[in-house]
This record gives sequence, C-alpha cells and structure tokens, in this order.
Amino acid sequence: MPNRPSLAWMEKYRDAVNSDPEMSVIGDWFTENFKISFEGTDFLISVREGKIVNIEENPRFDRPSAFSLRAPMSVWNKFISPNPPPLYHDFFAMLMRVDEFVLDGNTLATMQNARALHRMMNILKQMEPLDAAA
Amino acid sequence: MQPLSPGHEPITARYINVTSGGVDYRIFYEEAGEGVPLICLHTAGTDSRQFRHVLNDPDVTAKCRVIAFDMPYHGRSNPPENWWLTRYQLTTDVYLNLIHDFWLALGVERPIVMGCSMGGAVTLGVAARYQEEITGIIGLESAAVAGGRDNDFLHHPAIHGGELAASYTYGLNAPSSPEAGCRENWWYYSQGGPGVYKGDVYFYCEDWDAREEIKTIDTNRCKVSLLTGEYDYSATPEMSQAAADAIAGSRLTIMKDIGHFPMIENYERFRPYLLAELDQMV
Repeated sequence: MPNRPSLAWMEKYRDAVNSDPEMSVIGDWFTENFKISFEGTDFLISVREGKIVNIEENPRFDRPSAFSLRAPMSVWNKFISPNPPPLYHDFFAMLMRVDEFVLDGNTLATMQNARALHRMMNILKQMEPLDAAA
Repeated sequence: MQPLSPGHEPITARYINVTSGGVDYRIFYEEAGEGVPLICLHTAGTDSRQFRHVLNDPDVTAKCRVIAFDMPYHGRSNPPENWWLTRYQLTTDVYLNLIHDFWLALGVERPIVMGCSMGGAVTLGVAARYQEEITGIIGLESAAVAGGRDNDFLHHPAIHGGELAASYTYGLNAPSSPEAGCRENWWYYSQGGPGVYKGDVYFYCEDWDAREEIKTIDTNRCKVSLLTGEYDYSATPEMSQAAADAIAGSRLTIMKDIGHFPMIENYERFRPYLLAELDQMV
C-alpha cells in the first residue's frame, strides 16, 4: 500500500509555504484553489495572495478547483526526495517527460501563476520524503 | 559561484553591423582573450551574459579569443528594420547564415563554435554546412531534433511572458547546481522581449531537424565534441547520444550533476569538461 501523505504532513507543507520568504515576495497575485492528487488521495489547497489558507482532504465534488496535479505515488516519491532522479526533479520536467504526471483543468490559470506555483512545488519537493514519514 | 573582485573584468564589448540574408543587423558582442576564436551561442530567449564565466576564465582566454554575441531580438542586438510587421520565428537557415555572416564580418578564421540548447543544436548545423571553414564545434545540450517545448502560453496576453519563460526553464538546471547560478539564468530569461522565447522555440522544436545532414560531418575536417548534462530533460542524454551516433569520430560526454545550462548554472563543475574538449581541439 503506497504511503500517501496525511493531512498532518500537508499541514507541515502549508507551514513551509506560508513561512517561505520568497513566497512573501512573489505570491501576491496567486489566489486560486487547486488540487494535488496522490494516487487517489486528493488535497484541495486554497491559496490566497500566496498563502495557503486551507487544505481539505478528499474534498466533496462541490468544492471547485482551478486545476489539479495528479500522479501515482511512485512518481511523487521520486519527486519528493533529497536526490530526485533526472526527469523527476522538477514540476515542469515531469509535465514534459513523465506521462503519469498529469495537469488537468484551467491550464491558463496554472501558467499565469507559474512562478509562485513553481516555487510551491519546489517547497513540496523539499518536504520529508513520504517513505521516511511512514 | 566565485565572488566578484573589484575592478574591471577582462571582457570588452562592441557593436558590429552585419548583413545576412539581405537583412541588416546591429549585433552586440563581447569578447576576451587571444588565440583560436571561440564563438559562443546563447540559449533560446536569452543573451551572451550566459557566457560570462567562460569569458572570465584565464585558462580559456589564454588559448582562445572568446566571442559571445547576442542574436537579433536578444540582449542588446536590435531587431531588424520593420520588426513590428513580422512575427518573430527563428528558422534554421536564418540562424546558420547569421552565425556564418557574423564571423565573416569579424574577420575571424577557423573558429570553434560553441553553443548551448538551441545554440547547441545549431552547432551541429554549423559543422555540417561549414565544416571546411571551422576548427570544430562544442555542442552543449545538443540534439539533432527536439520537440515538446512549445505551447501557446509562452506568448499570451494574460501571462507575464518573462516570468513564465524564466520559471519554465528553471527546472532545466540540475537540482544540485548552486542556486545563485540558476537564479542568474532565471533573471536573463525574464528579460526576453515579447514572443522572443517562443520564436526561438519555433526553431528548436519545429523547424530544426538535422538528423540526415549531420551524417555528412567529417570529423577529420571539423572536430565534434558534445557535452550534455544528465539532468537535461529538453535535450536529454539519449537525444545527444543519437546525434553522436550519427557522426563518426564525434565525442560525447554526459556531465554528472549538470542540467541544461552548464556554463551558467554551475561553471565550476562544467569547467573541467570544457577545458578537456578545448585541449583536444586547440
């Protein structure tokens, strides 16, 4: 059974994003709800002006999100790693080269927020590996 | 990243007017050193500043006259007349002719041509078309055919093109490369003109296909060195390997812990690879 992130793990991620000095500089225009899906375990992340204000695990269908990032845990485990292998070392790398990493939804909104979202994904990459958190 | 020392760097810079394909261009270039001309070609959407460490490296400039120029529309090289009536889309022929006409205008002979990414790709074309006029090529992150980088968001009225191009390319660095080098490259990318990165990607991903032409390269006349970072997901090691396989006598080295921008993301790590190729070429 793959070790998907817990809500507590995601709340640590929220704290890392919200205390990141760079996000304080670049995040002002990033206000969206988006979803990260870890092999079927979904988290709806609500961002307001570059800060995560809410995370909801497995949200109901009436919680809209602008876009979602989906991948199996085998992909996320390579990404969230101190030494990620080539092609799994970056959000845009996976988008281009890893078929199992899927971006859905309003891709315009995604790319409008590319700078801040990319920073948020780099913070995700630096979180405690999910294997170690088991 | 080496700390800056006070005073002038050895780099000097000038403008030269070049006519290529019947079009007049005002080209900015910077140079340092003496010896075999080493012409440096920047990546898509950026400019010659990416080569500042090569230009400042005494072990390179002791044997090479390093010359890095900005392509038209990039850095301090202006677009040509009536640019506002043309959609910028770089093509293989325009690119190759311009590189050739640039070194002819400078009066240099038998240069080594080194380029990265789209510049690395086009070095393969330089070797194929001008192999009797050059010493060799050093292709950084070279592929004979590339794809997958284009999308309409790269030039879109609802998106900050500079921030997108810079962020879109940031992950092409290796994860262990020093942050300062990666961020410096981000800054250069953020300064591209509207649609220029996309216009370069048109060359790189749509117009460029040298898979047949590179088979004509004779490495007895023109040396071919290819250097590719293991973390490059645009021109992957496999893509460079395919190019090397098509060129008998070529050299290919996969650089560990390097991505798509070796000369700027992590020069200290890239430097031994570069010096080794220059040693066997000069």
